[in-house]
Amino acid sequence: MTASPSHLDLLEAESIHIFREAAAQFRKPVLMYSIGKDSTVLLHLARKAFFPQKLPFPLLHIDTTWKFHDMIAFRDKTAKDFNLDLIVHKNEDGLKTGINPIDYSPSIYTDVLKTQGLKQALDKHGFDAAFGGARRDEEASRAKERVFSFRAAGHRWDPRKQRPEMWRLLNGRLGTGESVRVFPMSNWTEKDVWRYILREKLDVVPLYLAKERPTIERNGQLLMQDDERLQPKAGEKVVMRKIRFRTLGCYPLTAAVESDADTLESVVAETINAQTSERVGRLIDHDQSGAMEKKKQEGYF
Amino acid sequence: MTAQTAVNKASLISVPAPVAAVAAAPAPLRDLNGIVHLLTCGSVDDGKSTLIGRLLWDASDLYEDQRENVRKSGRKAAGTDLPDFSMLLDGLVAEREQGITIDIAWKYFDTETRRFVIIDSPGHEQYTRNMASGASHADVAILLVDARSGVKKQTKRHAAILDLVGVKRVVLAVNKMDLVGYSEDVFRKIEADFRTLCWKFGFWDASAIPLSAVFGDNVSSKSAAMPWYTGPHLLEHLEKAPSRGTASGGAFRLPVQTVLRDGQDFRGLAGTISSGGIKVGDGITDALSGRSAKVIRIATMDGDLSSATSGQAVALQLDIDIDVSRGAVLSSSEMRPIAAQTVEARLVWLSETPFDARTGYLLRTVTDLIPISSLEIKALLDLETMSSHPSTRCNVNDIAIARISLGRPAAIDVFSDISETGTLMIVDAVTGASIAGGVATAVNAKSDAPGDGHFILSREMLANGLCRDLSLSANDREEFMRRANEAAILLRAAGVSVAIEPPPMVDDGMDPGL
Repeated sequence: MTASPSHLDLLEAESIHIFREAAAQFRKPVLMYSIGKDSTVLLHLARKAFFPQKLPFPLLHIDTTWKFHDMIAFRDKTAKDFNLDLIVHKNEDGLKTGINPIDYSPSIYTDVLKTQGLKQALDKHGFDAAFGGARRDEEASRAKERVFSFRAAGHRWDPRKQRPEMWRLLNGRLGTGESVRVFPMSNWTEKDVWRYILREKLDVVPLYLAKERPTIERNGQLLMQDDERLQPKAGEKVVMRKIRFRTLGCYPLTAAVESDADTLESVVAETINAQTSERVGRLIDHDQSGAMEKKKQEGYF
Repeated sequence: MTAQTAVNKASLISVPAPVAAVAAAPAPLRDLNGIVHLLTCGSVDDGKSTLIGRLLWDASDLYEDQRENVRKSGRKAAGTDLPDFSMLLDGLVAEREQGITIDIAWKYFDTETRRFVIIDSPGHEQYTRNMASGASHADVAILLVDARSGVKKQTKRHAAILDLVGVKRVVLAVNKMDLVGYSEDVFRKIEADFRTLCWKFGFWDASAIPLSAVFGDNVSSKSAAMPWYTGPHLLEHLEKAPSRGTASGGAFRLPVQTVLRDGQDFRGLAGTISSGGIKVGDGITDALSGRSAKVIRIATMDGDLSSATSGQAVALQLDIDIDVSRGAVLSSSEMRPIAAQTVEARLVWLSETPFDARTGYLLRTVTDLIPISSLEIKALLDLETMSSHPSTRCNVNDIAIARISLGRPAAIDVFSDISETGTLMIVDAVTGASIAGGVATAVNAKSDAPGDGHFILSREMLANGLCRDLSLSANDREEFMRRANEAAILLRAAGVSVAIEPPPMVDDGMDPGL
């Protein structure tokens, strides 16, 4: 008699099913790779879905030029190790205007370098489907997200125009101008991501593990000084602290937490016992009420 | 994952817990014992969001900031000094503004041993279609009623929808018992009405529990106010429900999603086993062609398996190439689905656009997409009486009895026999919209009147024209079928009833399974 499958076994199988379904239904899919822990799991699931075949789609990274240096190194090593097709896109027009996360508000910065950059890349390559690592447990507006999330022309997400999904049937037939975001990890939780990373012994960006790093305290948040572009303001100073990141985005928009967890196991233990949900560390969501839903309607992932 | 490995992984963690202790015991750092999907349905005023909020508050591993949000808001449950637990269920901005649920929200929580997925479905009558789509994902449904009003017409509609989409376990949560003085008589009367109602349906388990969501009676602990109730409280009942994926009975089915190749001799038919199990050495049959072969390898990235069962995503390698691709259903040789030309189905009409006989429709099964040559509405089902009355029209939220003639044969099971391969979605060929979801109630291998009234897209005609550039390679044969489907869709949208000539059946004279 075989043991009944654990919840991670079931989640993994569901994600593989979604990957295979999307790859079969869409003409030109792409995997949105943001280097973080969710992308790490997403990529691993994609590799499982198509083993022993090479991934039948490329990876796309929207590089705002404000990613941590460790993230870029990890991205390039991952692409090389697994023999992946990696597309890196930068919003050159946006960068030319000098927009950056230090002098501009998080919402303007995110809109130009991430959201617009993503739309540019999808349009440029003609991708009709983009895999993302978003989960329904992340944020209230995502709790109602579909596995196949349709975008009208211009990448707009209209909550009232999402297709009902029943049983395991996934309808990917596109109407004129439509594209789709596919979320194979819809039903995973943050804890599952960590449990799975541990179970599958996956490598993650070292920033997830605690280490002495140069930090600046600003508005009650700990920012890491990754290079000379982030400088202390009057009254601030750079202090070495043992920190790690619960979520990795652009610096300095992603805050660190003080922690002694310097192994994957201890990070997972800390996460399981965590007092706050992960998006508290991502400054964009604090901008305004309903921020994430608004961003999504504008085309943010 | 075996229990042994789980224990080993847990023991790796030697780090002490953070100084600030958590209110609830942390969920264990091992895989949980399966997943149970819960659907909650009831009217807006039955206190559904409060019940789910209360379950989350009491039994789950909520983050402290989520608890703090509820406390800080100052919102109180109606008529009490208790926090408004329903806040934990809030989703879209639009919903907060309107105060009613307009869509399905998914929530996740872990108890010591279990992952629960809560599918919160709208109670408002006009959202029947949303409830049906939510219910299609559920293992257990919680039907919520107000103790003051008991089983209502709405409850009957909900039970009928649950039965239609295949939910087998139902709990009647009799809420607001505090407002009827925790009266046993009131509860017993409602329980009796519920039993009468359930007789009509195919539920395996139907229980009633008296509770008060606001005060927490019988939600996650036994109620002191209702000593006369000796059954399990809600959480206890839910923790005993079987997890998804534990039932592996039934005949083997693997709907093929895609064919994986490694450039050498590997050709893996990849898909998720939707019913039964398979071992290396077992014979399988492709339902459409009748061709049989033997499984010689069950491949996964974690290594080959000797056997696999329902719910597992695998790739099967066969001893001979039986020329199947996406859309095929690999089946046990003894019991395989019918290569259906016509399907009788019950449909939940999801689209705001009513049925129109001139629209081009497609049928989506788990992995196939088939042009429909005609879709005929026969009758509409009254969910309160379960009686049907003839109709040729169908609108949003209607439940229709329909007859579907397919442009080519497809492997479809009767839903009540083998559920997943009996699920259907009607798709608008032009816009791609999901028009109706449904289940097959009967399948027939013969078309209504073969050749009669249908324009037949012959394979020869296609090969000499539209598909002239294609070879006989596996990839090109998939492309051949894709073009044939699209040509049929165009003709169909122009009002021509069309069928695609099926590939020749293979009869190699061999005993199936050898």
